[in-house]
Amino acid sequence: MWIPDPEVSVEGAGIAAAPGPARSRSARAGLALGWVRARLATTPGRLVLTSIIVVVGVAVFGIIATGAEQSRERAVRAARVDTEPLLVHAAQLYTALSDANATVATGLLGLGGVEPPAARARYFHDLRVATDALTALARGADTAAARAARGTIADQLPVYAADVEAARANNRQRFPIGAAYLRQAAALMTASMLPAAEHVYAAEAFRLGDNYRSGTSSTTLVALAVAVAVALVPLLFAQRYLTRISHRIFNLPVLIATVALIGVSVWALVGMTGEQNALATAQRNGSDPLEALSAANVLLSRAQGDLSLTLVNRGNDTTDPADFAAVKRVLTSTHLAPGFTSDLASYWAAAARLQRLQDNGQLGVAIDQAPGVAAISQRLSGQLGDQIAAAQARFAQSASDAASSLSGLWLAIPLVTVLAAALAFLGLRIRINEYR
Amino acid sequence: MNRPIRILLGLALAAAALAGCGTSSDHQLRLAMSALETPTPTVHSSATPSPKCKHLTASLRPPATMPTAGAMPAGSFMRRIQDRGYLIAGVNAGAYKFGYLNPATGQIEGFEIDLVRELARAIFNDPNRYRLVALSVPQRLPAAQHDRVDIVVDTVTINCYRKTQVDFSTVYYGAQQRVLVPSNSKATSIAAFAGRRVCASAQSAPIDVMEALPRPPKPLGLPQAIDCLVYMQEGRVPAISTDDSILLGFKAQDPNTKIIGASLAPVPYGMAINQAHPEFVRFVNGVLAKLRADGTWRALYDKWLGGIPGSNPVLPAAQYDG
Repeated sequence: MWIPDPEVSVEGAGIAAAPGPARSRSARAGLALGWVRARLATTPGRLVLTSIIVVVGVAVFGIIATGAEQSRERAVRAARVDTEPLLVHAAQLYTALSDANATVATGLLGLGGVEPPAARARYFHDLRVATDALTALARGADTAAARAARGTIADQLPVYAADVEAARANNRQRFPIGAAYLRQAAALMTASMLPAAEHVYAAEAFRLGDNYRSGTSSTTLVALAVAVAVALVPLLFAQRYLTRISHRIFNLPVLIATVALIGVSVWALVGMTGEQNALATAQRNGSDPLEALSAANVLLSRAQGDLSLTLVNRGNDTTDPADFAAVKRVLTSTHLAPGFTSDLASYWAAAARLQRLQDNGQLGVAIDQAPGVAAISQRLSGQLGDQIAAAQARFAQSASDAASSLSGLWLAIPLVTVLAAALAFLGLRIRINEYR
Repeated sequence: MNRPIRILLGLALAAAALAGCGTSSDHQLRLAMSALETPTPTVHSSATPSPKCKHLTASLRPPATMPTAGAMPAGSFMRRIQDRGYLIAGVNAGAYKFGYLNPATGQIEGFEIDLVRELARAIFNDPNRYRLVALSVPQRLPAAQHDRVDIVVDTVTINCYRKTQVDFSTVYYGAQQRVLVPSNSKATSIAAFAGRRVCASAQSAPIDVMEALPRPPKPLGLPQAIDCLVYMQEGRVPAISTDDSILLGFKAQDPNTKIIGASLAPVPYGMAINQAHPEFVRFVNGVLAKLRADGTWRALYDKWLGGIPGSNPVLPAAQYDG
């Protein structure tokens, strides 16, 4: 980095060679102190000391600023290409599984024992989305619990699908046992697979949260400010000292070093602030709504599944109506999907009409009208999906803004550090040489 | 010296101000997660006391002369039904052949539904004037008690506790608790399953009966009896024990099964009626007496269950005590 002064290094070498193995640490410290005191006695000595402090200060700046910039850049890159895409996969897994469960219950419910082709296609699409997402999530959160949750889904998905097919085959024979197979499949889904999917989802969401925290940490900015001070104060002090002992107002190399350092500091500060704001925007306008809307979508599927299973169970069911009521309460009281309040209200109203028909002994009519209610839920779910995609696009835009706010800094900080150190050393060296 | 300090201060201030601009918070995430963690409410079913009583299956005597269809006596409960225009019955929609929703038609059909049709015929002279409400097991008696339905025809077993809650008609089907096994099973009675798992619906009378056997099996209770057939098809239980009415429906859905052994207990089915309407109980008993006498009961039984091997058309003689 800097070319050592031959004189200094000879003296330094002499000192380094002097202490014998028997010498204590305090004796060595005393020697170093003596060396410093000897330097302070003369102007060239003071200049040598100043040059050492300035170079060390600039080097410390370089190390801290690079570290701070790298930590921000790592966090942004991880959020952009790793944790957020994985969170999207986890949300897809969760949503696809709950939608599959709602779809299959609604599809098998239909009269005539014949499942509408569209319902079957949607079910298989959901299964494909779920398995694709699960494959992508193999490089997700690497904790034992997350791995176990992914394993649970992978193990149970074929069992679930087998139960659904048994339900379908029996349903085509018009046997009530078809409903029992469907109930068993739904129980596996809601008691085991969906909780596992929720765990996978939470693990990825909290990983993204960690990236947000380190990408917007104010500690990084404070560290940068301290580093700038550590480099700038000795530089300014050196400048003043030089002005006092020489007849020139400016020492040009030291001045250039100072200006370059201030320049790169301002750049880093502005860049990192921009990055921080963009990342916070990515969270606020991107992943936060994505998380809320995904939760709303999952809960909507759960409600629709409950509604259909209540009908599939032909009135012989007390759990699903209770779960439906609980989900409805949560979806109504939390504002997970603020733009959908009136759509949701019309869905609840349609569901209540089904419930009334069933209570009035018109189960057949209720079953006949159930596909209409399912269609409302699917339309709503489609709209939620569009909004989720829009939130995802906003995230991508802001995260890319965050990345470009930092662009160039990775090179500029070390480059300016080396340059400033070399220039400052050079500027002081000219003065030192005047005393030879 | 104050220039460096000023710069230092300025930098620190700027950093602090900028640091406050964009911060992250996981408030939204926690909100979404807590919504997703909404637990499924648990529905508790309480065990029922089992008092003793005399003349378990005895019911009220039919009126000396049955009212003519379409002309129910003024002030009677039957008249209220007639004025309404249809009979409301609480039924089972999941007991194949007994009372089940036919997916082809969307209608609940079966032996019990045909009995409801006969009641409608006796009131209106039109068997189609009825509405059916599918009830879950815990809903059955409250539906009659709170007049949600006029009558419950839903495989309700008459027992002493239930007689304190509702009035029962005379027995309309003498079910027997028996055992269903896969057709390749070597077992010939419940004795073969001593200490082994036998499935029944949870907290049901068949479980109590099995536990009282000298060498009892280990009963496994599932939410609904039909869940036991799923378990047996999957090889998870070797046998099911419940009412033969239900087992015949299982056999009809899975021919690779057989009913074995003698009856473990009689299971008398009665129609449940609100205790405020004794005249309706008498009327229903009158209809049942006629169905029994003119061969309609047997014809309906044969229509729904006669074709299933092992079917057991048992209709005990009516008993009256008032």
